[in-house]
Amino acid sequence: MLSRIALKPVRSAIQPIRMTQTSATSNAASAATTESPERDLVNFPRPVRQEYPGKVRMGFIPDEWFQFFYSKTGVTGPYTFGLGLATYLCSKEIYIMEHEFYTGLSIAIMGIYAVKKLGPATAKFLDAEVAKSDAEMNAGRDMAIAEAKARIAAEKIEQDRALGMKMLFDAKRENVALQLEAAYREQLVKVFSETKKRLDYQVEVQNVQRNLEQRHVVDWVLRSVRAAVTPEQEKATLSQCIANIKSLAQQNTVRI
Amino acid sequence: MAAKRIAQSAINWSAMAEKVSESQRPMFNAFKLKSDQYLRRVMANPENPPAIDWAYYQTRVAVPGLVESFKKQYEGLQVPYPADKVTAQVDAQEKEMQVSIKEFVAESNRRVMDAEAELKNWASVLPFSQMTMEDYAEAFPDKAWNAANPTFWPHDEASQQEPVKAEH
Repeated sequence: MLSRIALKPVRSAIQPIRMTQTSATSNAASAATTESPERDLVNFPRPVRQEYPGKVRMGFIPDEWFQFFYSKTGVTGPYTFGLGLATYLCSKEIYIMEHEFYTGLSIAIMGIYAVKKLGPATAKFLDAEVAKSDAEMNAGRDMAIAEAKARIAAEKIEQDRALGMKMLFDAKRENVALQLEAAYREQLVKVFSETKKRLDYQVEVQNVQRNLEQRHVVDWVLRSVRAAVTPEQEKATLSQCIANIKSLAQQNTVRI
Repeated sequence: MAAKRIAQSAINWSAMAEKVSESQRPMFNAFKLKSDQYLRRVMANPENPPAIDWAYYQTRVAVPGLVESFKKQYEGLQVPYPADKVTAQVDAQEKEMQVSIKEFVAESNRRVMDAEAELKNWASVLPFSQMTMEDYAEAFPDKAWNAANPTFWPHDEASQQEPVKAEH
């Protein structure tokens, strides 16, 4: 039989033939594992199960067969060979088209119809199941990794906080200095205000004394003036006042 | 007056608040409140007392020599800066705390290294979807089936018992 594997470019003469395909992901996966230094990961990568089928043409013919012909016969080669071979087999009656051939044809038609109709839905369902089981398998691992990462982050934060303790002591020292400064300033202000209070008292004493003296002088002058006025002078002043009023009254009546 | 004067707070409180864990938040807030009170007390008074207008009093006060003697005494008076007795205590406390911080950080680094080793270990384990049973036994020797240490059905921890020593 023509195996697809047999047609693949051979990586190494002694590479064992397996029904698995190695892809780029295999290298990434094996690079993550810790292998002994003697292991040759370049020529013997870890086999990885193939998730999707290889490329095919016309629905069922592997692409590698075409590639095999291209280098030797050009692009029409595989078709020529296929048609020629079929013609040869049929014309020489090596392949005989008896009644089972037609049964096979109708079964193939039914199969193709079923695959086209039901295939996508089935594939979707099965993919979902595979994803679910994968997630279930990986849940423990993912959780452990996330938990370890969170633990590292939390430890880093705690360390940062512990080192931040220096700021607390700076603040404490500053508080001490602030209190000393406050007491010092209070004392300075107290000295100032007490001195000022005494000086102001002196100024106020002066002011009060001057006010008292002024009032006393004014009182004395008034009293002396009143004592100096005689009854004759008073009478004369009164009569003069009356005469003035009269003349004023006359002037006002004339005007009216 | 040899001690250095302090005019304003040099502490970055917002940076400090970021480093405080939730459980210590009330303590931090109380501490900050107290510090603010101290700062307010400092700010309540000017750094230096206002100058006295001696010339004004000279003209107003009649008592001879009083203002001069006041001035001389006032200018001669040196207010001593209060002695600092507690900074040494704070320093001692800090030194003590430094030791325990160092211990804690070393302990914490050990825990980080443990976690990192665990991460490295997980990175070396193949993805489960690519594992064979042999790979599984290699990666988890305690969980995989082991011929040397068979388990009783239904192979959970509760149904295991000490193997009986058979005598022949």
